[in-house]
Amino acid sequence: LQILNEGGTHTPADLAHRLGVGQGLLEQMLADLERMGYLRQMPARCPSHCAGCPLDGRCAVVEGGRVWSLAEKSRG
Amino acid sequence: MNPLSLLNTNGKQPAPTALEGDYVATLPQSGRRTLTVALAGQPNVGKSTVFNMLTGLNQHVGNWPGKTIEQKAGVYHHNGTTMHLIDLPGTYSLTANSLEERIARDYIIKERPDAVIAVVNAATLERSLYLLAELLCLPAPLVLGLNMVDVAAMEGVHIEPHVLEAALGLPVVPMVASKNKGIRELVDAVETVVAAGENYAPCRPDIREDHRAVLDELGRLISDQVPEPYPVGWVALKLLEGDDEITEMMRQRLPGEIWRRLHAILSEHEDAALAVASGRYEWIGRMIRAAVVRPRTGQISLTDRLDRVATHPLWGLGVLSGILALIFWLTYTVGAPLQELLDVYVVHASAALLRTALAGAPGWLTGLLADGIIGGGGTVITFLPILVIFFAILGLLEDIGYMARAAFVMDRFMHLMGLHGKSFLPLFLGFGCNVPAVMGARIIDSPRARLLTILLAPLVPCTARMAVVAFLAPAFFGPSAALVSWGLVLFSLLVLAVAGMVISRLAFRGEHSAFIMELPLYHVPNGRTIGLFVWQNTVAFLKKAGSIILVMTVIIYALSNFPGPGVEDSLLARFGRWLAPVGQLMGLDWRSMVALLSSFVAKENAIATLGVLYGNGAEGAGLAGTVAGAVAPAAGLAFLVVTMLFIPCAATMATIRQETDSWRWTAFSIFLLLALSFGAGIAVYQGASLLRVGV
Repeated sequence: LQILNEGGTHTPADLAHRLGVGQGLLEQMLADLERMGYLRQMPARCPSHCAGCPLDGRCAVVEGGRVWSLAEKSRG
Repeated sequence: MNPLSLLNTNGKQPAPTALEGDYVATLPQSGRRTLTVALAGQPNVGKSTVFNMLTGLNQHVGNWPGKTIEQKAGVYHHNGTTMHLIDLPGTYSLTANSLEERIARDYIIKERPDAVIAVVNAATLERSLYLLAELLCLPAPLVLGLNMVDVAAMEGVHIEPHVLEAALGLPVVPMVASKNKGIRELVDAVETVVAAGENYAPCRPDIREDHRAVLDELGRLISDQVPEPYPVGWVALKLLEGDDEITEMMRQRLPGEIWRRLHAILSEHEDAALAVASGRYEWIGRMIRAAVVRPRTGQISLTDRLDRVATHPLWGLGVLSGILALIFWLTYTVGAPLQELLDVYVVHASAALLRTALAGAPGWLTGLLADGIIGGGGTVITFLPILVIFFAILGLLEDIGYMARAAFVMDRFMHLMGLHGKSFLPLFLGFGCNVPAVMGARIIDSPRARLLTILLAPLVPCTARMAVVAFLAPAFFGPSAALVSWGLVLFSLLVLAVAGMVISRLAFRGEHSAFIMELPLYHVPNGRTIGLFVWQNTVAFLKKAGSIILVMTVIIYALSNFPGPGVEDSLLARFGRWLAPVGQLMGLDWRSMVALLSSFVAKENAIATLGVLYGNGAEGAGLAGTVAGAVAPAAGLAFLVVTMLFIPCAATMATIRQETDSWRWTAFSIFLLLALSFGAGIAVYQGASLLRVGV
């Protein structure tokens, strides 16, 4: 959380390298932080009322990968 | 090696902590003829394979009492001992967040099996150990089934089982369950650990040091009130973790005064869950360092190697710029000649054929069909090859996993320029379509920042704007079209960055944002996936061409011929001339201004309108050639710059109205974009005039 509070964009691989852990454990850390309310997973697809839009599902450039942002609780 | 020798390896019993004190008294007695053994593990670690190997046909499937989750139970006979095996639901941890996790932990606490076999995947040991860290806090002796050691070895993960045994203080059995290797040894280890009784003293994870005193205090506070069969230490730990189920259980049981004190402690240590998790991570780290010879973190995959360049702050931008340039070069090199062929041999040939066929028909009908619908709407269809190539390249980049890298690199770049990441993500969606960009601003908590992001979202060049650029750039700039288009995209990004900085200064001052973006692995592209992407986008475009654009074409044609006799005397011309003073500052005549305005309905209408207005007087020549002859390059560049920054389509404006819930802000957005786009267009044309370039 200290690293994330410095700001910026990270990949799980970056974070795992900086923390000296494997990607598997980092995934667990992300899951824990999300469950505890420190991270928020962002929607990678259009909201439901985009249904019918010809770009529905294809406008999300980050499709295939999850994105988390800091939740209010994590500001420290 | 006798697994018993691994228990309590340091030869002395550690002093029981608040966590451990309960277990010693509740361990099963050794020497039983019948044992109950639970199988625990994360999904896909081979737990069911172990269960099936042991029980064979001696198993039955039902549901957990009162639940819809499947329960598998079976029997195994070994050396005169009957083992009743229970296959617990696969879980990643033991929180109260899912039914499966509650079933698994409740079973161990309430049914107290004689032993628990924790099956882990040796290839992903680090993550698998997290569940083990939680199981160790429950009142049952454990055996670790280190499954898939063959897969781990193939992936370069070398684990020393006996070192892991010593570090964990419990039996570790290397296995390949799918090949029935290690199953017998696993059963032996279960009998051994049950026989060990009070000598079972594994190395358990501890809570981070700064919260140990709090945990002990909680333990003391609740020790007389924790109902059987819950271990006091585990309940205290779960209270610190904020476990809803356990907190509610204790709230109901504790006297008011004790609950208030407990609640005050928990409120003061809201971050204690992090301390619990940190303790587990630290414990896992120690185990891995002790027993894994070559952890996977040291290995570099092909994806890692490629990402060293593709996601590098500087090289990554270079790669992205290069890819953009390549997209335009390919689009124009292959698509533009095809577009010209379609224009000459399909649009003009059809129009000529229609005129011949309708020789005796009224002039307005021939004009509407040949010059309006075919000359305008048909022209829009001619840039289908350009769009197909554009979508094919985008689909390819997305399918191989590059688009997520592009977003990552751009986000980093925007951060460097001061743009707040929370704004960037919705803005980036705008490259596909501005509508989701405006809607995506919902992820921003601050109403002020959300509003600013919505107002600036239409500055992102969507695919429809890019299609207009793709059609007109070759007309105005010939062989330099790819370079100009590339420059226009970079210009838009620059405007976006400046706009982002304004947002950051006004709305996010002093606030940091952070993102974690999971990047998919690179993989070989799938032709079917890309084909589907191209097909869906092409069909969507054709539907738009056959509906909105067609209707607009008819309206524009009617307005450009009424009351007549020529287009110069039409209603549209009168309206256009009203806009002419602004157009003159950009070197544009009334036709181009009307084309810009018509793009409000749908961006591609700009082409259709130009087709109707210029096509009327340009028999035999393609629209691109006619427009190029009528508009000077400097004015053409101004037209494209305005197109990139102009008010978005009606659908986007409707979304802005919906998301801001304000007509005032919607009107402000229109005014802002008109000022920005015309300002930039005028600056470009006047600048070129001053330098006497392309005028």
